[in-house]
Amino acid sequence: MAYESVKVKKPLTLTLLPILSVFTFFSAWEMIVDTGIVPSTMLAAPSAVIKLFLVKLTDPNPDGAVLAAHAWTSGKEAFIGYLLSLAFGLPLGLLMGWFTVVRGLARPIFELIRPIPPIAWIPLTIFWFGIGIEGKVFIIWLGGVVPCVINAFVGVRMTNPTLIQMARTYGASDWQIFVQLCIPSALPMVFGALQIALVCCWVNLVGAELLAADQGLGYLISMGRRLALPDMVVLGMVCVGFVGAVIGYAIERLERRLLAGIRR
Amino acid sequence: MGDRAIANEVQEAVGEKKPMTIYRVITNEYFLYCVSTVTFLLVWQVIGQSDMFKGALASPVQVVLRFERMLTDTLAGLTLWGHIWASTSRVLIGFALASAFAIPIGLFMALNPYVDAIIKPVFDIFKPMPPIAWVSIAILWFGIGEPSKIFIIVIGTFVPCLLNAYTGIRLIEPELYDVVKVLGGNRRDEIIQVSFPASFPAIFAGLQISLSNAWTCVLAAELVASRSGLGFIIVQGMKMSDTSLVIGGMVIIAIVAWTTSLLIIILEKLVCPWKRKLEGF
Repeated sequence: MAYESVKVKKPLTLTLLPILSVFTFFSAWEMIVDTGIVPSTMLAAPSAVIKLFLVKLTDPNPDGAVLAAHAWTSGKEAFIGYLLSLAFGLPLGLLMGWFTVVRGLARPIFELIRPIPPIAWIPLTIFWFGIGIEGKVFIIWLGGVVPCVINAFVGVRMTNPTLIQMARTYGASDWQIFVQLCIPSALPMVFGALQIALVCCWVNLVGAELLAADQGLGYLISMGRRLALPDMVVLGMVCVGFVGAVIGYAIERLERRLLAGIRR
Repeated sequence: MGDRAIANEVQEAVGEKKPMTIYRVITNEYFLYCVSTVTFLLVWQVIGQSDMFKGALASPVQVVLRFERMLTDTLAGLTLWGHIWASTSRVLIGFALASAFAIPIGLFMALNPYVDAIIKPVFDIFKPMPPIAWVSIAILWFGIGEPSKIFIIVIGTFVPCLLNAYTGIRLIEPELYDVVKVLGGNRRDEIIQVSFPASFPAIFAGLQISLSNAWTCVLAAELVASRSGLGFIIVQGMKMSDTSLVIGGMVIIAIVAWTTSLLIIILEKLVCPWKRKLEGF
């Protein structure tokens, strides 16, 4: 940008409104449950959720594990699935972007599998792996691998063709161009994939646990539904949302660190 | 391809005649596509027929035969077309509802800082929650009928629609506004002439994401509880240990989801013909 940055002072109302809005939202939520407009069997008040949160920190009843154990199980599954999808998806995407043979062989199969939502694999997964951790990791891996491949692929394809021609002129081999030119130029897209894939993994985790699990945050939610305990459902949702937001924020910070100097 | 003119650039395609050699045929991308597809199906067929997965993997031939039967026979009172329509109508209703609300709200938020200040923080609380997590609460609220499924789809599609409409306007180059100002336009001209058209591509990208989210959501809802739809076919297959039903259901979901996303691409081409295609997927 050729402009000098000008500090515009925000009006006071604009700084106050967000706080006011969140406050109104939570008090309205509390009110409609407390006054009985929405029965407490359908929606839990924020205060009830906080109370349950404190209880669940130490009490494994009625779903069999304390909150930390649920979070640990979910986190472990998501993390393994995420790492596997990176380890598989990024190299595949990069190779697909540069080598015609890899692209020709892998793309039809990838296009075949891509539009199937990962949770549609759940029944097959149960047939193949049972309901253990392998099955869930497989579902999470499926969710994460698609954005990895796409981003790495597009990153390589967007390499500046002038640079490739220049490298050719200087007599670089295909492999050299790939390693020294395409991969570095695809890096911003690859880092984008890190974040997108993590979000996909985390979303699919809930799906995988909703159907078959004995521990984990998704399990906490579906247990809450089966026992008709809305506070447990909401607690599970808040935990999932919160952890997801924290992870997303951490990755974004990391990305900014690693990509300092590269403009996207 | 001949010369194509986009805006004021002329792109010249230079054709180069190369001799037809075996090496070139083998490394041709489309030839490889065929090879890979055929190999994939063959390997699948062989593995499916052998006892490697102990009957937990139906071969492609079995799947096709099973679904040929489904076209006339009924499963839970509906033929295959009935199930496809059940899922598709849910997706379309939820999708239409969500985009009808989310896009205007997103545009409004991006254009007015006060609306932004009020809605954004509450929206940010809901944003990171996976739509599938709403399945449970939807069932608590609406039972297992049609409304709960549509509710889940609306939730799942709302976030990307709103977010993309919002960022679409936020990322418009300020120079474009300056042009309108220089030409003597007022705020209204800015919004109608610049903001809306410039945000269309982002909005359509949001619709694409929404649509694939909508399919995930409808599946999740149908897997948990339903009597019709493609997710129901998969669950039935699982309950009856009929893997050809499961795999066929997955394939049909892929086809239907792909078709609906194709419709959005066509719509996008009609609405914003100036958008250039990016190389890649």
